[in-house]
Formats: sequence, C-alpha cells, structure tokens
Amino acid sequence: MIEAHQLTKRYGDKTAVDSISFTIAPGSVTGFLGPNGAGKSTTMRMIMGLDRPTSGSVTVNGKPYGHHRSPLREVGALLDAQAVHPGRSARSHLRTMAATHNIKASRVSEVIEMTGLAGVVSKRVGGFSLGMGQRLGIAAALLGDPRTLILDEPVNGLDPEGVQWVRELVRALAAEGRTVFLSSHLMSEMAQTADQLLVIGRGRIIAAGPVQQVIDSVSGGGVRVRSPHAGELAAALAADGVTVTLPEAGTLEVSGTTAEHVGEVAFTHGLLLHELSPRSATLEEAYMSLTQDAVEYHSHTAPRSKTERGQNR
Amino acid sequence: MSTLTADPTTTTRAATSPSTAEVNSTFAGVMRGEWIKLLSLRSTWWALASAAALMTLVSLAAAMSLNAMADDPVTAPGIEQVHGAEIVASGFPFGMLIIAVMGALFMTGEYSTGMIRSTFAAVPTRLPVLAAKALTLVVLTAAVTVVSVTLSYLVTMAQLSRYDLVPALDDPGTWRVLGGSVYCLTAAALFSLGLGTLLRSTAATVTVALTVLLLLPGTLSFVTLDWVQTIVSYLPLPASSTLLTTGTTDVPGADLSTHASLVVVAAYAVVPIVAAAVALRRRDA
Repeated sequence: MIEAHQLTKRYGDKTAVDSISFTIAPGSVTGFLGPNGAGKSTTMRMIMGLDRPTSGSVTVNGKPYGHHRSPLREVGALLDAQAVHPGRSARSHLRTMAATHNIKASRVSEVIEMTGLAGVVSKRVGGFSLGMGQRLGIAAALLGDPRTLILDEPVNGLDPEGVQWVRELVRALAAEGRTVFLSSHLMSEMAQTADQLLVIGRGRIIAAGPVQQVIDSVSGGGVRVRSPHAGELAAALAADGVTVTLPEAGTLEVSGTTAEHVGEVAFTHGLLLHELSPRSATLEEAYMSLTQDAVEYHSHTAPRSKTERGQNR
Repeated sequence: MSTLTADPTTTTRAATSPSTAEVNSTFAGVMRGEWIKLLSLRSTWWALASAAALMTLVSLAAAMSLNAMADDPVTAPGIEQVHGAEIVASGFPFGMLIIAVMGALFMTGEYSTGMIRSTFAAVPTRLPVLAAKALTLVVLTAAVTVVSVTLSYLVTMAQLSRYDLVPALDDPGTWRVLGGSVYCLTAAALFSLGLGTLLRSTAATVTVALTVLLLLPGTLSFVTLDWVQTIVSYLPLPASSTLLTTGTTDVPGADLSTHASLVVVAAYAVVPIVAAAVALRRRDA
C-alpha cells in the first residue's frame, strides 16, 4: 500500500511533481505511465525517502519509508539499474545490501537463482549488459521478501524473454497479495502487465483507475460502418441523436453508441451493411490523447528553412 | 540465454521461502555491509598494498640516507638528535596520500556510481551509513598503519643498528611516534570521508583533501609572513609532525604543543564528519 497526499517536489522554480495524491492498493499491479520528464522517477524517489518532498507526504505500508525499522522487508525497489558500483561483483553487491538487514546468504543465492543471474554472479557489474543490470536490480529489490515492490522502468533493456519474465514475475507477486508499482513510458507494456493505471504528465495525475476504464474514459468507444447506403444510414442515426462522420464515401464513423444499436437501426430501415465493427481505442491511442498536452520534450521534425540551412554551413 | 532464464513459478515459491523469516536491520548489519563494500573492491586492496609498500620503502630510504648524513662532517653530529622511530615513521606523508584518496572514494564512489541510492534504500536514516563507514575506515587505516610501521621497523633495523638508532620498545618516545602515525592517518582518512560526503565529487574531494593535507604547508612555507606561518602550523601535516617526532628535532612549521596538536588533528577529523552528518540528513540523495 502506497499513499501519497498532495505530494509536491520543486527544483528551483521548476515543479517536477505538482501536488499529486494517489493510493496504490495491494494485490494488484499498478502501472505508472507518463512521458519522459513527467515526474515518475521523482515520485518514486520521494516514496523511497531519497528525495525530500517540497510539501505533502507519502507513506508506504502506513509509514514514511524512513520510519520503517527494516525497510527492505517492507519495500523492494528498482529505482535505477545503475545504482551499483561497477567494480563489485553481482554477488558482492547483493551481499552488501543483505548484510544491512542480516539477510542470510541462502536468500542471496535464492534471488540470484530467481533472476537467472547464476551464471554471471561472480563477474564485475561494470561488464554487465543493461538487461543483466536490470535483473540484478530486481534481485536486490526482492532480497528482503518485501510486501511492496517499486520498479522504475523494469523492462528497459530486457530482451523479449526478459520482458515476458518480468511480466509474469510482477503478476505472480501481486497475486500473492503484494503491492506492485511499476513505471514505464511504454503503454503497450502496461496494457499487458498492469491492472490499474496512474497516468502522469507534467507532474500532475491525468488519469487513474483500472486499465480498461482509463482507456474508455478517453476514447468513449466508437463504431465503424461500411454500407452502400451510407447516406441514408447516417441520416437515420443522426435522427437518433448519434454523432456520425463520413471520412470517405460508403464509410461511417459513429460515436456515442454501440454496434448493436447501429445494427438495429440499419435493420429497421432495411439497409444493407458490409461492415460493422466496434472500435475500442488502444492504450496507445488513449495515452497519446491523454498526454499530448503534457509532453515535456516534443520532437520537432519539421523541415528546416533555407535560411537555417544556410547558417549551418 | 539459458543461463538468464528464470521460471516464474519457482519465483513465487521462493519469494515466500522461510529464509527471509528473520530480516532485521541493525547497526552491526550496516557495519558488515560497509565492510563488505570496502573489501569487495579491488581498488581497496591496491590502495592498502601500495600504502604499506610506499611507507615501508620510504622509511628504508630514510634509513639509508643516514649514511650520507654520517659521511658529511657538517651533518654528522645531527644523527645523535635523530630518534630511530622518526625514521621508521618517515613514510607517513605517502601513507597519508593514499589513505586520504581511499577515504574520499569510500563515499564519493557511491555517489559517482549511483550505489548511494541502493545504500540509502537499505538504510534510509542515512547516519548509520556514515558512522559505519567512519568506523570501517578507522579500523582499516589503523590496521594498515600498524602493518606498515611493523614492516618499516623490520626493514630499517639492520641499517639503524649501525648508528645505534633502533627504536627501543621500552622507550615512550618510540610509542609516541608510532601511535602518532596511527592517530594522524586515521584523522586524515576521516577528514577525506567527511569532505567526500560534503562534496560528493571524487575529483573535487581528492583535490581539496590533498591540497589541505599535503600541498599547502609546502607552498605556504615560502610566504614568510607571521600570520601565514601561524596558519601553516595549524595545517594537518605540520600539526601531525609534532606528534611524529620526539621533540628533540626541530621541524619547520611545527610550533604547536603536543596537546594542541592532538586537538587540532582531531578537529580535522571531527569537523568534516559532523558537517557531513548534517548535510547527509538534509540533502536529496
């Protein structure tokens, strides 16, 4: 359980996290979604007590992180796969963390087995690939058998098999009743992994709730119809107060109603249909629509003007 | 890829295994964690080995140079003023150089690599980390100094015996100099650790630490203003010099009494550590 109350972080006059409040419930996987620079990592660092909130508060399992007597037992975190000294072996890294909580060597071996690091555990971390670094970070997060897991971009740099593994791992952990909070800027990954979504943009919560609900709240659904009698059908639907657009001849985009209703209207008017397909927005579309105003760094792909090119020479 | 494959079903079972039944954060645990951290880096072993080697070799060189001193009629009478322990401990500045760098890296290495986030995730109250690092460093510095001094004593013995200068183990002067070495090197290590916690950057910390510890007394000795010389006498190396001699030889710049030197050297350790503790509590990691 993670509870944030009007959590705010300002760096100088830049507000990274702007008075956000949320509750992350145990027993499910909550995805923390947002573009780069939206405030995901800053929020997670405040949860972990690494950064001090400018105002507001956040608790994990009922207490601020720093007030737990044995914090690794409460919370396991992967905040940054690079939070490791490259000159140390993977096993030594885990041993240094395990030692602080008197965690047995057998548990260190367990998390090494679990994360598939057994073959590289004596190698120095500096030579690890990004994917192995992620696995080591996840191993460290699991060390204390924590009730709450916080994973910042856990699938970054993992191969497809690794991505699959993380997905199954977090689902299994949530199924055991743990709180799992993971961030990503990859909406497709969230669609397959998370039960709940917390969407953040420019330091503010844009949307929160079950994954499908968040998607529906943005798209509102829609129906695509192809018919040789498109014009008549459009008129019949418009009479029912349904919004209809004609993107091309013979095709209708209907919103604000169901496919069943469109079918019934066509039937009662004796109109032939070639296609009747309900369209649910993908998480990707929902995400783009949610965050288009909240993207911190837009990419500008517009062609350069002649004068600019001239100046560059 | 088979080595990196993990079965999620075993994961779940293992995650609730009884081996995590007794998980408790204690200061002894934090100490052990810091101990593993320091000893699991190759650079630590290189630093310790080179500190011991350099201090031993320099003491041997100092002992050999007694020959030249004895051959010159001008300097020959000076040999009687020399205490054998001063020769044994003469590698001190080289030890200081390496120990100071090691002390700095112990903390700045955490910041430069990002390890500090893992460290503070495990110990969010932070101060136990600083305390454990300080204690670990004190133990290791004292140990390497004792080893170096012992080695120096052994390798200089033959040469010193020619001049009847082998430091007597029942002579308080001997223990003053050898104890002073341990005391001052430990202080230098803590000075760097505190400075490293405040500055976080390895380059900045090493530069400032070595300037204050080793460079300033030499460069400022050319400035013959009284007030500058007073400042110089309070710098770590001149203040340590008082503790590293038996008082019969005159060390330039070392004008403090024994008690004042003990206090000044301790201040170089305590003040940065206290400032570091305050900063550590307040700042974002």
